Amino acid sequence: MSLQAWVRRTRAPEPAAVRREVTVVEPADLYDVDTTDDPDASPVLCCTGESVGAAAFAPLWLKRIAASGRHAAAVSVRGQGNTPAAPGGPDARAHDLVQAAIGLPRQAVLIGHGRGAAWAALAAARYPAAALVLVSPQGMPKRPQKPVGAPRVLLAVGEAETQSKEAQAVTEAYGVAPLTFPGTAEDVFKGPGAEELLDALLSWLGRKD
Amino acid sequence: MQEYSSQAAYDRGEAVCVIGAGAAGLIAVKNLRENGFEVDCYERDTVLGGLWNPENQHSPLYPNTHLVTSRSQTEIPDFPMPDDWPDYPSSAQMLDYLKRYAAHFGLAEHIWYGSEITHVEPVEGSRFEVVVKPAAGAAARRLRYGAVIIATGHHWEPNLPSYPGQELFRGTVLHSSQLGDGSRLRGKTVLVVGGGNSGIDIACEAAVSAAECVHSVRRGYWYLPKYLGGEPADYALARLRRRPRWLRGLLTDRLLKGHRELSARMGMEAPDHRHTDEEPVRNGRYLEHVGDGSIERRPDIARFDGGEAVFTDGTAVRPDVVVLATGYRPTIACCPPALLGAEGDSPYPKLHARMFSPRVETLAVAGLVEPGVGALPIVHWQTHAIAHWLHIRKGDPERAVNFRQQVVAESVQYAVESTGISPRHRLAVDAEEYLAGLGRIIDTLEQEPAK
Repeated sequence: MSLQAWVRRTRAPEPAAVRREVTVVEPADLYDVDTTDDPDASPVLCCTGESVGAAAFAPLWLKRIAASGRHAAAVSVRGQGNTPAAPGGPDARAHDLVQAAIGLPRQAVLIGHGRGAAWAALAAARYPAAALVLVSPQGMPKRPQKPVGAPRVLLAVGEAETQSKEAQAVTEAYGVAPLTFPGTAEDVFKGPGAEELLDALLSWLGRKD
Repeated sequence: MQEYSSQAAYDRGEAVCVIGAGAAGLIAVKNLRENGFEVDCYERDTVLGGLWNPENQHSPLYPNTHLVTSRSQTEIPDFPMPDDWPDYPSSAQMLDYLKRYAAHFGLAEHIWYGSEITHVEPVEGSRFEVVVKPAAGAAARRLRYGAVIIATGHHWEPNLPSYPGQELFRGTVLHSSQLGDGSRLRGKTVLVVGGGNSGIDIACEAAVSAAECVHSVRRGYWYLPKYLGGEPADYALARLRRRPRWLRGLLTDRLLKGHRELSARMGMEAPDHRHTDEEPVRNGRYLEHVGDGSIERRPDIARFDGGEAVFTDGTAVRPDVVVLATGYRPTIACCPPALLGAEGDSPYPKLHARMFSPRVETLAVAGLVEPGVGALPIVHWQTHAIAHWLHIRKGDPERAVNFRQQVVAESVQYAVESTGISPRHRLAVDAEEYLAGLGRIIDTLEQEPAK
């Protein structure tokens, strides 16, 4: 975030505060899986563009992430799930995401899916995320702002979308090669494709370089 | 440093030494870590949070200290405060916020508590040798660092005036930092000296809890309420900066007019400076307390006479407690003043862009300004610039030389002269100008090097 962007932001009205729904699964919450809680691993915060919000991640994602030893959280931004609707565009949703992130115990990895990826990218421009993961991004700004704190960035797109303009624009903007998973954006929450994607994603997060 | 010479200094390589674990120190550590530096942060007390922590034995907090700038203008740019907090958080919330910041970015593991830096000395060109004195037990140690950032703040050494006859005065005389909780004021006749933010806040506290509150003020100040035009005052005024200059003056006048007239009605001297020149006093309750008579205003104290304080207008009062809310002197005890460009006996350093030492490239000071707006964002951008500068200096010395020249030129061309009137306000700068200068410095640093 540049100083100028910050000055502009502090001179515009702050988005209305809403009571946000945040779903959290910690490694210690899982009785049926043998996990080792890694206190050094960054927590993960997920956000989707779909209207169910945090609930989309509950059946598979949060448990799988927690099983890898990470604090796993998902947030419903304004208008999603149990979070009341409030005025505001993508910036207000990025604000919701940042507010959820600062509530986590450590610097968080931001995972955005669909339009949620665009909000995560905005959020990463004003909060130093531990890493930024964009899954099948939609509605990304043409020239996304540079993320603060130089986090690692991962782009994951479905096989069907690899040639889409959106995916190529994001590839170019962040200078990262996309990771492809079988299926389309709709397949990321359930099915064998989803598990494969999650495993690839977690191993990327766990990589130290 | 003869007494330490028997022991060789431990070399920490390119690591950076940060002095102080208050707000400025924590932000410095985080920004340095983000740029890949090893950091050792030394704190003389046993707790973090600096002046915001009442457990800090030197804490200057007084009863009911609240922020005087609003949340959105005060929060650290990349780590906002929770948006369900009030517009003007309390000192306890501020401390909670700093603790969350430290935990979130894992800063605590880099802090060495109970360790005071007693001396900083340049060695081998641009490296530093520091002397660390533990609070108890072990002898002082010497360590070498690639760079030093001083973040000790300027609210530690009370500025104490003295008046004729004061030594014979029989009541209690306290500095605002010694007040602790407000119980010492209850039911007493209290004389509060000083018209800055602390003086006004303490006068308001005494107005409701003391038997009688007399407030001695030397000159005119800007008294701003905490809200203007239905918005937090600092936000309302900052927003006007987006307007064209001619309109801005007009709108600012309109916002401040009612309040200026109210001050005049209360018989207060008109301030002899613009409201941006030095930190305005922000307290909405003060004028109302003056208006309902629970605060009596008096001019400067002429002398103490037995149990009485006599003012320059000839009136007198017999106070039980005198609270000197007369501010602080900036002192940087750990570092020779000459390294920071101080001239003669003046305690005020002359730094490039108010952060870089003019003498050694790798010495900087964070947070030694009074911008009249929230200090945390200013410190964030300062340390952002400092950390980037150290990073470039390490990787690309040639570019660093060019940058250095530019900063020197910048601080001459856009000399951010202090706008403050009294000596107490020597650290005051115009936030708008200063931020613009910081912005230019950061832009230069972040430009891709010419290939």
